[in-house]
Amino acid sequence: MALSFKPVKPLLYTGTNASSRWFSYIGLGIGVLLLLCSVQMFINIQQLLKEGSIRKDGFDFVSITKNITNETMGQPEKNLFHADEIDAVKKQPFIAGVSPLLANDFRVQLSAGNVLPFSTDMFLEALDNDFIDTLPPNFTWKEGDQNIPIILSSDFFEIYNIFAPGQGLPQLSKETAMGIPVQIACYGRDNTITFSGRIVAFSDRVNSVLVPKNFLQWANKNFGNKDRQDASRLFLKLKDVNDPKLIRYLDAQHYVINRDKTLLGRNKIVLQGIFSGLGIFGLLVVILALMLFSFYLQLVIARSRQNLELLLTLGYSPAWLGKHVSGQFVPVYILIVLTALICTQVMQWAFHQFIMFNRPELSSLVNWIVILLAAALVLMAIVTNARLVKKLLYRLG
Amino acid sequence: MKLEIRNVLPTYFEETRKADSGIWGKDLVFSNGDLINIVAPSGTGKTSLVHFLYNLRTDYTGEIRYDGTPLKNMNREALAALRKDHVSIVLQDMRLFGEQTLRENLEIKRQLHPYYPAERIQEMARILGVDHRLNALARHCSYGEQQRAVIIRALLQPFEVLLMDEPFSHLDQANSQKAIDLILEEAANRKALVLFAELEKAAGFHATHLYHL
Repeated sequence: MALSFKPVKPLLYTGTNASSRWFSYIGLGIGVLLLLCSVQMFINIQQLLKEGSIRKDGFDFVSITKNITNETMGQPEKNLFHADEIDAVKKQPFIAGVSPLLANDFRVQLSAGNVLPFSTDMFLEALDNDFIDTLPPNFTWKEGDQNIPIILSSDFFEIYNIFAPGQGLPQLSKETAMGIPVQIACYGRDNTITFSGRIVAFSDRVNSVLVPKNFLQWANKNFGNKDRQDASRLFLKLKDVNDPKLIRYLDAQHYVINRDKTLLGRNKIVLQGIFSGLGIFGLLVVILALMLFSFYLQLVIARSRQNLELLLTLGYSPAWLGKHVSGQFVPVYILIVLTALICTQVMQWAFHQFIMFNRPELSSLVNWIVILLAAALVLMAIVTNARLVKKLLYRLG
Repeated sequence: MKLEIRNVLPTYFEETRKADSGIWGKDLVFSNGDLINIVAPSGTGKTSLVHFLYNLRTDYTGEIRYDGTPLKNMNREALAALRKDHVSIVLQDMRLFGEQTLRENLEIKRQLHPYYPAERIQEMARILGVDHRLNALARHCSYGEQQRAVIIRALLQPFEVLLMDEPFSHLDQANSQKAIDLILEEAANRKALVLFAELEKAAGFHATHLYHL
């Protein structure tokens, strides 16, 4: 016959001081709910802000410049990235790759020839090919070629279409623009060469007029005034543009990044801070509730002291008694944490449904980490109480 | 089971007590079948001795061993096992759960090790004349009734050593004799050692060893 706890149960004065027991139950429930909700919201923020930037192969690409201030303007050596600075940026763990944007070191004039009465001084830049989002196969150049392929920023093209009517120029579609040959005049120290250029692609990522890197290197050598090594812009390949560590690093170095690309990241820092704070507060409430509950248990054992002592005198094992006394509260713990988990689930569903309008990045179900945390909390409550009761019973003798 | 009492003295007694006592400060060894009668007036440490032997108190010098294992070295679980299966006790202050009936009190002990079926409770209660009170709350029973319930409780478990501290202090001559007969019969069935501490030498208890504290 297995030893039954049923006849022993009435000997425990568990009914006494119900208010302190209910306070600890409610406290535990609120604490667990706060903790679970905070963790879920933390995960939601991570998932939401992982999106929202132009990505290629799972990476974000942004360009950074130095912050040009009144003190540094007019001093290129202070506003350019030197080799050692580029190396330092490369070493950061949250930066997957760095490519300096090579700029023209000579005067360039762009015109549409006879097709459009349009002519402008322009700049050219070159970038490593694997940093370019829209790379057509014909984006190549070799020495002697008259034709230069160009990748134009979509933003620049949009700006052209905005000012074109005011200048008496036609607005163009992307397809037409790609068909129009442009003339690129490169002014050297004592020579001028005009190349024929053609837009081969538009880039959403790079705000520039890109030409093949080997062309610009060749042109800088032939038309340039000096052998310039430093870059004014760095193009970064990032695992996550919203990584708070990246933003803190760039701020510390006084580097400027396209603001709207990191706005989400900045919000993320604030939101994560708020929910971390809430989570810590929830954890504190959980600890407080568990402490309150341990006081309640101590009270139960103190009130039942005589009966428990007699049970031990009769030959009841303290381990068995401890297991069953603390086991009384296991269903309560499970119920409390389960209720908090259900509330978190309802909150997550409502958040996804009514606030986020079913955004695909989010799920209506709570994250598995939250479920794991709930299970860990139940386990923690059970283990701490079992240990406490056992200790108290051993003290009884 | 071998019970050894080696040079035991309560820490609150003077050393001089050892000289006149048959127990304090002596080396004694008992084994199965021994019937030990310890006779002593009040205040000489009968209850202390029984409590030491059951490890309810440990404020003594010297050593008490069961089958060679010092009692003070046993952990809580080993002690619980010793009390459950090997050493039984009748305490002078009875110690029953007042809010439970006599039968519930006895069942709580019996379920620890169901050495006897539940019917045996009824049978022993009938022999000792408390069967009609089995369903009464312990706190509503007289000391005499409680004392008989405590004796039955001690006899419900298997034991090799039975410790008794003034077990009949609230019983009349006739009821005491019935209880002694039942205890001796149960002890004989188990070939157990019985240590019986009393104010005076009990008439019906034929001790194999007699000591004065």
